[in-house]
Amino acid sequence: MNRLELRNVSKKYARSGSTAVQGVTFTLAEGEILALVGRSGGGKTTTLRLIAGLEAPDTGVITIDGRLVAGEGVFVPPERRNVGMVFQEHALFPHLTVYENVAFGLHKQQKSIREEIVMESLRLVGLQTLAMRYPHALSGGERQRVALARALAPRPALLLFDEPFSSLDADMRVQMRQQVRDILKSLKATVVFVTHDQEEALFMGDRLAVFQDGEIAQIGAPEEIFHAPQRRFVAEFMGGSDFLAGKTVLEGIQTALGLLPQPTGLPPATLVEIALRADDVAFTLDSQGNGVIAERFFRGAFYLYRLKLDSGEFVHALQPHTELLPVGARVHMYFNAGHPLSVFHNGSVVQVNSPINLHHLIPAKR
Amino acid sequence: MHLDALANLKPKGRETHRLPLLSLATLVALLAATPLVYIGLRALSADAAAWQRLLQARLWLLFRNTILLTAAVTASSSIIGVGLAWLTERSNLPAKSAFRLLLALPLAIPAYIGAIIHLNLMRPRGGVIPKLLENALGITMPAWNPLGFWGATFILTIFTYPYIYLLSAAAFRALNATIEEAARVFGRTPKQTFWFVVLPALRPGLTAGMLLVALDVMAEYGTVALLRYETFTSAIFVQLTGRYDHSAAAVLSGALVALASVILLAELRTYGKGRFTQVESQWRPARAIALGKWHAPALGFVIGVVTASLLIPVTALVVWSMQTLLEVETSASIFRPGVQGFAAHLWNSLWSAGLAAILAAVFSLPVAMASIRSPSRFTRLLLRICQVGYALPGVVIALSLLYIVNRYASFLYATPLVVVLAYVLRHLPQSVRGSEAAFAQIAPSLEEAAYTLGRNSRQTFLRVTLPLAFPGVLAGAALVFLTSLKELPATLLLRPAGFDTLAVRAWIWAGDGFYQQAAPAALALVILAGIPLSFLLRKEELIP
Repeated sequence: MNRLELRNVSKKYARSGSTAVQGVTFTLAEGEILALVGRSGGGKTTTLRLIAGLEAPDTGVITIDGRLVAGEGVFVPPERRNVGMVFQEHALFPHLTVYENVAFGLHKQQKSIREEIVMESLRLVGLQTLAMRYPHALSGGERQRVALARALAPRPALLLFDEPFSSLDADMRVQMRQQVRDILKSLKATVVFVTHDQEEALFMGDRLAVFQDGEIAQIGAPEEIFHAPQRRFVAEFMGGSDFLAGKTVLEGIQTALGLLPQPTGLPPATLVEIALRADDVAFTLDSQGNGVIAERFFRGAFYLYRLKLDSGEFVHALQPHTELLPVGARVHMYFNAGHPLSVFHNGSVVQVNSPINLHHLIPAKR
Repeated sequence: MHLDALANLKPKGRETHRLPLLSLATLVALLAATPLVYIGLRALSADAAAWQRLLQARLWLLFRNTILLTAAVTASSSIIGVGLAWLTERSNLPAKSAFRLLLALPLAIPAYIGAIIHLNLMRPRGGVIPKLLENALGITMPAWNPLGFWGATFILTIFTYPYIYLLSAAAFRALNATIEEAARVFGRTPKQTFWFVVLPALRPGLTAGMLLVALDVMAEYGTVALLRYETFTSAIFVQLTGRYDHSAAAVLSGALVALASVILLAELRTYGKGRFTQVESQWRPARAIALGKWHAPALGFVIGVVTASLLIPVTALVVWSMQTLLEVETSASIFRPGVQGFAAHLWNSLWSAGLAAILAAVFSLPVAMASIRSPSRFTRLLLRICQVGYALPGVVIALSLLYIVNRYASFLYATPLVVVLAYVLRHLPQSVRGSEAAFAQIAPSLEEAAYTLGRNSRQTFLRVTLPLAFPGVLAGAALVFLTSLKELPATLLLRPAGFDTLAVRAWIWAGDGFYQQAAPAALALVILAGIPLSFLLRKEELIP
């Protein structure tokens, strides 16, 4: 059974009248982690708050564990939704100890059971020795784990995370997300996880939902999102892509980088854009070439070159660190992908005639 | 499954919980606005002859006197307050933490008590100092006059500068050293940095503080009455008690409130701005500036202010209290048992001010919560209406309550509860501001966390919101307690016969010329006022 279902959920802000989320639809299976990712203001946090019951949708339906919680004239307040939430700044109660914070959601349990659950939750996050401390006496990572224990303790049907690691230092963040993912997977928790960091989303999510202007631009496995973006925005947001203008011809697409022999099915002379990552482009020194080296970045094992085409467009390409090419040198660049590239027309992907076979890309479920 | 969900039918989420809150907040605002509206109506409906009479004879003089005093006291206490704050926060003055406390403590001394002491020390015939000089040196004092404009300005300045001092000291401390360092790096001298960077940074807080001081001076009755400098408040008081001319009193009150409202409106424009200038994590204090050759004059200035505003008044009160207690007869008459005894006065002061503080705190809760949790034009308006008490001097509140209680709530007439009501109406702004600041500091996500952990609105309020806001709400209540203890004119006008507080007793004895007999009550009042004051100073981390 689906743990969570959103059907066509929309919400406008009362104050500004601007649309926060529009027609959001997805389901979440038991034990699955869904990462909502997108720019700030993209609607992902509003979606999370709608699920929690901290906001009411204008239209659409939300069900948790098959029970209607919002829509069709129904609104179940957050305290009766059986969801747990980890907030951005943790939102630990500063006047309560770690123990009392974790016990806060267990007010309906008997005292002896409550004690057992609190200690078990603290053991799970490795904080049983700090139970009597107050939040201000904890480090950022410890606060983070208390927030997790507090959300887990009432055994909610659904766990919600609102950018939980954004207040941590970079190295702590990487460490925490590993720990948190292990805990969530060991508990088979069903999770909705909001982040603006695409790397974090790729790491945390079994599936990703990319938000753009209040709508879900694409939802799918991390590999699918990364390798087969359905919209230009997704390719752009998930990082590392240059966009090269092109014009369709019979044999494929004509670009400043030469002909891309990839049929599009579009009428000839249609303007399109091709998403290029650094490993899709190769180049050689060539005084008769089609561009120059604009900048060179040292990346340890290799150099990343920023190349300027004679058309004025920029692309990136990699070269091994053994060879050092001077900035300003004239080069010849060419397509070197070995797989079909993503082509966009008016911001949406153009389905190629031979569909990309992704199955070899997607490993067995983690 | 749908039936279960239908049981929770609620269309708009948490919005529904806000209706009772908004209604309560509206009721409080209506209560707060009542005296203002009433005085306005009475002043406008006074017969034309009353206006005519006052316009011809007195009104302009009163305007002139009131504005002159207000401007003089505001200016001098600002200069002294900012100067002292700079010295104790930024210079290398010794014993800074001791001076910080000593400079704030005069807040516990009501200005009219200061005026009583001043008069007993300085009055040309019979004053302690002229007598001493005459006995010791055989010279008669030159006929210098402790009364009038200069006397009132002096007394009000030395007892109101602490407001400005505390505000600017806090602002100096919050100022990040990097701002000044940046100015220096960009080529400004220390002097230029002070005038063009530091002072402008202080300005918002300082302006608000000055306007509040101005409102306080305008409302002051005891000092100007005792030192015979006629302002609106003393004129209204005379109309009310001496001539029983309520119509003239209403006209004068209307004019005074109009004047005060202009200042309050200016203050409200600055209110709420720059309140979230939090100390950043990289904050560090600016380096202390060496005073050099100014060291001795600066130290003399600080010690002089402490002496005039704290040491002399307290010493005088202690000495006179001892003298009074040692006289068996006087002592027996002061400490007699029963409702005219000292214990009764103490108790009256305590319970009336305490009840006012509790009521003001309770009334402030819905207004503060509504303005923070459902901010809108309407709740902002409610918040502002609740500030009108600042523009309603004690005499004006008393006048309007005399009318209103007589006509609509006669069961309250001639009970001490009217006095308490006056305190609440006059000092509600203080508790509203305290509570509002307290609620504003609570992140909404804390309440949301409580909801997602299965707690309903009531449990969340009792277990999360209220405990977290409590220190701030308490600070507001402590301020109401402090100012209610010190309140004089409304208490004098509204108290039922026999209901004497410490303030009233000290005033009546002094008014009858028994300055020394007034000392024990005055001293008790100052000590009592020191309790909420020390709590407030500790909360502001001025004393450890």
